[in-house]
Amino acid sequence: MNHAVISCLHANLAAVEAVLNDIDSQGIKTITCLGDLVGYGPQPNEVVELMRQREIPTCQGCWDEDIIDGLNACECSYPSQLAERRGHRAHHWTAAQLTEENKAFLAELPMTLRRDKLLFVHGSPNSQHEYLLPDMNAYSALERVETAGAETLFCGHTHQPYVRELRQGSIRVKVQQRDQDIPTEHELELPMRRIVNAGSVGEPRHGSSKATYVIHDDSTGEVTIREVDYDVVKTCEAIVDAGLPVVFAWRLSHGFEYAERAEDASHVCER
Amino acid sequence: MDRWALVSGLQGDLDLYEQIQKELKQQRGVANLFVLGDLIGSQHNCNALLERLRQPHRADVQPECIYGWWEEQLLAECGYRGERKADGLREEQGEAAVGDLLAAVDADHLNWLASLQFGFIELDCALIHGSSADVSDRLTEDTSALVLLDRLTRLDVNRLFTARCQRQFRLELFSGSIQSHVKDHAGEHQSEQAIPKRSVIGIGGGRQYTLYDPATDHIEFRIAEDPSHASGRGFG
Repeated sequence: MNHAVISCLHANLAAVEAVLNDIDSQGIKTITCLGDLVGYGPQPNEVVELMRQREIPTCQGCWDEDIIDGLNACECSYPSQLAERRGHRAHHWTAAQLTEENKAFLAELPMTLRRDKLLFVHGSPNSQHEYLLPDMNAYSALERVETAGAETLFCGHTHQPYVRELRQGSIRVKVQQRDQDIPTEHELELPMRRIVNAGSVGEPRHGSSKATYVIHDDSTGEVTIREVDYDVVKTCEAIVDAGLPVVFAWRLSHGFEYAERAEDASHVCER
Repeated sequence: MDRWALVSGLQGDLDLYEQIQKELKQQRGVANLFVLGDLIGSQHNCNALLERLRQPHRADVQPECIYGWWEEQLLAECGYRGERKADGLREEQGEAAVGDLLAAVDADHLNWLASLQFGFIELDCALIHGSSADVSDRLTEDTSALVLLDRLTRLDVNRLFTARCQRQFRLELFSGSIQSHVKDHAGEHQSEQAIPKRSVIGIGGGRQYTLYDPATDHIEFRIAEDPSHASGRGFG
């Protein structure tokens, strides 16, 4: 059975509608959302209400968390002070727009969703703010999946879709204990694990303006990265009309990789 | 290069600290003393030890301290950690232990304890109470090598000295590799990553302490003489 995984909708209603239409047109009934329903984009209430209406299981993203709990991530989440100021502006605008009912919905979202050996998170099992980039240290990437007790980890947050398979891993270990003359040695054989990043519906950053999501075939394990056209201009105009930073519209129209991303992508903010 | 002494889990025991200082003075070339947290605890009045650590005697090997699990519990309970409280201590030892801990440390020491760092990076070594993930992270020789490697990688160090488990061991990750296959919009690519030689060292706690020579990478696990026996010797 095929199921679709979507992430990082970012209050972009035109993109969300286009992606849902694409999923529906393939007869896919199961959809999982990895959060960030709001932030950056101009239609936060409309997107939250659409997800509620469709009853799509959703985990909480970093923007969803910050709108409820306040800006807890430190400035390390941003590559520059200008980016941080823009992010804060969007945060305050979104918080002012969202209805109390929709805020309550975001507050109730779980950190993770699990279906058998499939784990669904926004950033990583550790934090909604951690980026699992495709070139992250392979052992650390495997640790995130394995420690969470999953075989396949679905994540978003980077806005770049990818499928990463980690296999044939091993570590040789030598242990010397106190009062032990000869150290012992053993080898740890590591299991094969996968990370599937669903990309972004509402704010793609993979070099194209098309919305992205993934389809996973439960029976074969095959993953398809989908790109969907939508009316980008309509959303860009709405961003400008709403008074949000114009750079958001410019970035959206190009699908640029420039984003509010920490320089150290593995950093987990503890603030 | 001078050797390091690594100590943890004194838990307010000034006699033990003085005994370790005495033994360090008898060692050659130990000029650095790192106290990896748990300076305090609920069993002793900790004020005398804290005063000594904050104002060392001239002859002492000068201590460099970081905070540990017990300090984290106290600081949380006293409002230094936002909305968090000493939940870990409550869960492990009950409400009475929280009261004992509050009684064991004068409020005058709280700001100093709050100023202590999470860890030190010295040369290519990380000196931390728990791990790079959390002060309560209990790394042992039985912890998965995958987790240990992650804790080393987070700090990009070759050696991680940890105290939380209160055990003495050296675990070396010395070979291995993993294959990574990535498919994205640009295509598919494969790479292989090898493990650099890296170590996690449990320094022990309480009477157990560790000497480390950064020049030779030699580690010596030691146990301090019981101060209650040592103090009476020769003066009977």
